[in-house]
Amino acid sequence: MNQLIVKLLFAAAAATSAASAHAQMIIVSSNVKASEISKSDLKDIFSGAASTAGSTHVTPILLKAGPVNDEFLSSYIGKSDLAFRTGWRSLVFTGQATMPRSFESDEAAVDYVAHNPGIIAYVSKTAPHDGVKVITVK
Amino acid sequence: MKRLLTGAFAVLFAAAVPGFAQTVDDLNIQIHGFATQGFLYTTNNNILTTNSSDGSPNWFEGVVNISAQPTPKLRVAVQGRFESFGNATNQISLDYANADYKVNDFLGVRFGKVKSPSGLFNEMQDIDPSYMWSLLPQSVYPIGSRNSVLSHFGGVVYGRVRLGKHLGKLEYRGWAGQRVLNSGDGYFVPQVEKGLILPNGFSVPVSGAALRWKTPLTGLTLGISDYRQQHGNALLQYPAFGLSGHETIEALTSPNFFGKYERGRWMLAAERSRVPATVTIALTGVPNSNIFFDLRSWYAMATYKVTDKFTVGAYNSQAFDRRLPPGPAHYQKDWDVSGRYDFNQFIYVKAEQHFLDGTVLSYDTNLNLGGLKPTSKLTILKVGVSF
Repeated sequence: MNQLIVKLLFAAAAATSAASAHAQMIIVSSNVKASEISKSDLKDIFSGAASTAGSTHVTPILLKAGPVNDEFLSSYIGKSDLAFRTGWRSLVFTGQATMPRSFESDEAAVDYVAHNPGIIAYVSKTAPHDGVKVITVK
Repeated sequence: MKRLLTGAFAVLFAAAVPGFAQTVDDLNIQIHGFATQGFLYTTNNNILTTNSSDGSPNWFEGVVNISAQPTPKLRVAVQGRFESFGNATNQISLDYANADYKVNDFLGVRFGKVKSPSGLFNEMQDIDPSYMWSLLPQSVYPIGSRNSVLSHFGGVVYGRVRLGKHLGKLEYRGWAGQRVLNSGDGYFVPQVEKGLILPNGFSVPVSGAALRWKTPLTGLTLGISDYRQQHGNALLQYPAFGLSGHETIEALTSPNFFGKYERGRWMLAAERSRVPATVTIALTGVPNSNIFFDLRSWYAMATYKVTDKFTVGAYNSQAFDRRLPPGPAHYQKDWDVSGRYDFNQFIYVKAEQHFLDGTVLSYDTNLNLGGLKPTSKLTILKVGVSF
């Protein structure tokens, strides 16, 4: 009985750990010098409040609505997709920003980052990512 | 000033856009817009510019925005608006037309016709999809005269500074230029209804600065802004009596103090402002007429996200004109409860109930010829689409 309880506890802990691990990675163009970024800076960049990673000017791009997008916004920005896009529209209509480009798939986002300088994006952790740099979030 | 800015803007736009071997996709040309339709009903008095005591659906605005980003640091954008609001109908206006060059996070500059970044909500007060209310607190953001503070021809310098690991970040804005109002602007409606016309509109130099401290306490922003308007003078005509002269507004400063706290599903905000003004109407052969007001205003608001799509909120907004004798005509107190439902990222509806006490704001004398009752309830329904 005790062994069963211990096994159940281990299983629950493993499940919790898997759920809390982020299912996406942050990628940047190869010219971006930074190799890591703080969660606060990442939030500022994807909210339109900042545009520098390390010392490089960066432009964020987005994925269209989906699990990877929703989890990124929930984990790093603290907003739903609806609130996030409303926030960007507010910046657009007040003349403070241009809406980030949105891509249909990980592949399209990775391809855009690989072929354009100064881009930052999030894609699924399992997505192939040749030609781009993965940075860690502190 | 307008010509200089228009020329500079045109040169920059011309240099940035077609001269480069860029595709349309490279320029990241985007078109966005929104439209709203509102309905107002009041139990007493006709509010703003509408016949609301009969129920008025005459509140429509449509906005179209076109922007391009030829390089990562350079943006150009133009936004136009069509607005029909009660007896202020069919007004087409330019919200802004500007170029923005952001050197880095510390320094950016925007010039052309630009939004004036004062207070907590000034830049977005005419952007309905941005907030949950149908009417922002009228004590600080009166919709009838919002054009007089929304934008100016000139520039804005902006940026943000890290204050250190434990001190947060400081955002700054500094702006200067010329504010140009036409005779039909909401600010001048009371005198236009009395037959006093400003044939050339009113143009006056303005400047200001704002600081927003993103404090180390996550979600808490504290700020201060100060708006300065220089002495202004404009040609005035009184056609009914064949008179002409000048209207003068003395130099004024208008400070705002504000704070906002966002945590989880909650947003709390408060703001205080003061607008003191001295206006002189001088018509040839007639004694000068002086108008003084000193409006002290504040509000406190709270919103709560019930679900991702449904938000509720309430605010209390109060304004007092210190120059008027005590009584309902010298103040307005407004309790508001509101709800907003977003069907998706394109369509939303809003419902709002106001409990108004006092008449110093929001009323057009010509629409209330029988006199104003001191209290009223106002119901607003609104539907909006944006893309």
